[in-house]
Amino acid sequence: MKLEPRAVPLQDAPPKRKVKTTQVVNGIETEVEIEVEDVPAGQWPPRASLRVLNHDIPRVDGPVKVSGAARYTHDVRVPGMVWARLLLSPLPRARVAALDLEAARAVPGVVHVLVVEREETGWLGQPVAVVAAETLEAAGDGLRALAARFEPLPWVVDHAAAVREGAPAVGRGANVGRPETDGDEARARAALSASATRVRATYTVPVQHHASLETHGVVVDYRGGEDAVVYCSTQYAQGFAAEAAKELGLKAGNVRGVVEHMGGGFGSKFGLDAQGLYACRIAKELKRPVHLMLDRRAEFLMSGNRSGTSMTIEAGCDAQGSLTGLVAEAWKHGGLGRGSLSGLPYCYKAGAHFRDVRSVRMHLDASRAMRAPGHPQASFGMESILDELAYAAGLDLVEIRRRNAAHPAWVRQLDRVAREIGWDQHPHRTQPGKPDREECIGIGFGISNWGSGGSSDCEAEVRIEKDGSVVVACAAQDLGTGTRMYMAAIAAEEFGLPVAAVTARLGDSRLPTGVASGGSVTTPSVAPAVKDACTRARGAFAAHLAQVLGRSAEGFRFGPDGVRHDGMTERLAWSKACGTLPAEGLSARGKWQESLQTRGVRCTQAAQVAVDPGTGRVRVLHMVCLQEVGLALNRLAVKSQIQGGMIQALGYALGEGRQLDSALGLQLNASFEEYKIPHALEIPRMTTLIDDDDTRNGVAGVGEPPAIPGASAIANAVHNACGARVRELPITPDKVLLALGKVV
Amino acid sequence: MADGTARTDGAAEPVDLSRRVFLRGAGGAAAGGVLAPALLGAAAGGCAAGATAGAGAATSAALAAPPGADPAGRELVGEVEIELAINGTRQKLVVEPRTTLLDALRTRLEPPLTGTKSVCERGNCGACTVLVDGEPRYACLQLACDLRGRAITTVEGLGSPEKLSVLQQEFVAQDGSMCGFCTPGFVVAITACLQRDPRASEQEIRRACAGNLCRCGTHPQVFAAALAAGRRLAEGQR
Repeated sequence: MKLEPRAVPLQDAPPKRKVKTTQVVNGIETEVEIEVEDVPAGQWPPRASLRVLNHDIPRVDGPVKVSGAARYTHDVRVPGMVWARLLLSPLPRARVAALDLEAARAVPGVVHVLVVEREETGWLGQPVAVVAAETLEAAGDGLRALAARFEPLPWVVDHAAAVREGAPAVGRGANVGRPETDGDEARARAALSASATRVRATYTVPVQHHASLETHGVVVDYRGGEDAVVYCSTQYAQGFAAEAAKELGLKAGNVRGVVEHMGGGFGSKFGLDAQGLYACRIAKELKRPVHLMLDRRAEFLMSGNRSGTSMTIEAGCDAQGSLTGLVAEAWKHGGLGRGSLSGLPYCYKAGAHFRDVRSVRMHLDASRAMRAPGHPQASFGMESILDELAYAAGLDLVEIRRRNAAHPAWVRQLDRVAREIGWDQHPHRTQPGKPDREECIGIGFGISNWGSGGSSDCEAEVRIEKDGSVVVACAAQDLGTGTRMYMAAIAAEEFGLPVAAVTARLGDSRLPTGVASGGSVTTPSVAPAVKDACTRARGAFAAHLAQVLGRSAEGFRFGPDGVRHDGMTERLAWSKACGTLPAEGLSARGKWQESLQTRGVRCTQAAQVAVDPGTGRVRVLHMVCLQEVGLALNRLAVKSQIQGGMIQALGYALGEGRQLDSALGLQLNASFEEYKIPHALEIPRMTTLIDDDDTRNGVAGVGEPPAIPGASAIANAVHNACGARVRELPITPDKVLLALGKVV
Repeated sequence: MADGTARTDGAAEPVDLSRRVFLRGAGGAAAGGVLAPALLGAAAGGCAAGATAGAGAATSAALAAPPGADPAGRELVGEVEIELAINGTRQKLVVEPRTTLLDALRTRLEPPLTGTKSVCERGNCGACTVLVDGEPRYACLQLACDLRGRAITTVEGLGSPEKLSVLQQEFVAQDGSMCGFCTPGFVVAITACLQRDPRASEQEIRRACAGNLCRCGTHPQVFAAALAAGRRLAEGQR
């Protein structure tokens, strides 16, 4: 007999009860007596009663990751698999003049040559051909044997060239997009005129690469027949399976998409992508599995990026520092894409404001979403102009933010963060320091926000087996944020089990509907669905036990000491209770619930830097972050993710940025040798604080906000340290020296 | 399989496959990317083409004449069977002269050892760090056939999910991995550091893994894990 899942009946006022449990106190597991209430469906238990969640929980997939046993798409090996590699357009725009297909096919080991662009390429790095071979080395030989020749056609890869009259057209339509405007220009300009203090400046941010360590790619396991399994390094396990089915000419339900582990995406990995389609085409042709992962250069050139921006902002404030008006004119640099830029005045109230934003198209890879798309760019402009305004008016840098922040949470966060970074003892609170010593110390601030809500389509399933094992499943994928871990932890909390007793399954298109992991939606989507499935499973289990034991279903409680009933003195061990289940165990499906998640996450950061005015070298000494997270499912992983965002922002501030040679049409830094992401010696002291004054008992996504304000805070700190206002990221030593007037 | 006349069975007749000789055999295929700066566009991998491939090929051609033979006149192309000592086990595998240790581990072993990650293929990122005779080395910059008779240890050789090393345990406890793709490289690099000195300072640990890139930003937890493991190792714990 299969038990049908049932919903737990809602109770008006759940009775409070005292239970003994273990809690981690100062890192030590301690037995404590706490008061809990049995909550109705659709609510997380009160934080104080949580035994597993909201604590530090080691990841359940930690052991496979640290021992090399975790299988990523790169690592998938299937019988008969061939290795495929891409030939890319070496120029932004070119005529494909020669491709020696016969020579490539004649290379020993080469099994297939696929030409995907025969005529003309329109962006730097555009795929032209794919060679598949029995070995990686032979595939490389095949590419070289193609002896591809490209004849350059006129291109534009920088702003000035793209907007020039008579510039080569980028696709159809004008190179400069239509203005996206917001606000009342006349009112904003009038407000600026009436301001006590006003400043105007142009700020530029470069194109940033996602630089995921695992490149994009797929393994298409198709050997003829009606079914296929596609492994893809992706942020959306269910999204690409349907695309692959179409390309393979199979029924959608016959193609399974799998992503067990994935080595970083940061917004760049949705869908099958061009290389995935090529791999499907070759697999279909050969009836053999195909392994096609981008190499590092291709990853830089063709897997998307965070769009660059140039923005001219004019802002004014009254004598007390309240913003009165703001006018911004901005250009987005998203290659063939439109790019993204969040609204200005970003997280502040600005009185009357107006903005005019246009995208400038170039013969370059289209930008994609990248961790908080559009936000770091807007943050850099806004936080920079705010500091310049404060200095012009002689105001305290924290005070001007407290006064203008658009939500009171930032005010409380600014106070705490200022304390942590040592603002009150800092000598340069209303004027920047001077470059008069070998090591100038400066402090800067920034604030950010993100929507962070979940997706209503998300579902999860919980299975309880007769042997007491528990499996929780959802098709969503774990990008490294700890999805697997909190899925297991939620079930452990709900059933009173240790986390290790629960198995979490994910990253498989055949599991219950998941969610595309972009925009911090995974946790607020998956966690509510898992929690709901657990609640329903508890209800079904209680109904079953009620029948077996002749008790009322309402009285059953699941806790670390086993299953109890209000009307019974003895406890039933979990394994014994499960032993009463029918052979097929019990399962329940849960759906996302609005009430289990929360939206709107605010974050405040500060950075302290040391600038050497002799060399222009900047060292970040300390970064502080205080962030709302709603209910933290795993404090350890939440802190890790916040720190990771801060470190990415440090890279954006000091090292990262695509470098192009306009005349030659080359990217100069399409490798990790020249594209500089932060390394171990650059990591500052980090103070990462979860904002526990945020008492909303719902789950929020936390990944985007911490990646936003750090670069702005570092840039402001450099200015604060020695008066070097660098208005273009990344802040390299030459720009610091230029700003100090030491080089011209 | 092509007949590799440089076939060497066992260690009795070691072949000195220096980089220069290797270039002759490999026609600069992989090393072109290493030697030719990215400015020339000949990055490791298959993207070099047209104008850029020409530049890369010119670089290797200058180093590679006459192609195809070493001073003893032996052909250094095709495939050879070699034996490597990997994680304490001698394993036979078929490689080309140009096959890197990284590709050998990942694509020519059966079953493959995929814990060693391929990220940049040119010694920029540390994700493929292995131990060769106890010293950390980038597997992407080592030729498999150069390593006969050397003790190779990969991340799999340091511990298994069921029996983690002290450092691996601390990586788990301190949340030292997020996406986890860089983690094996960090684990191997820091293992070498702690084997030299379990009392290594945080600065020494940072230096030991300064050649390892992590995009998720796990560094603070990695340092914490290394320090915690060092303390335990210094006290003789396992």
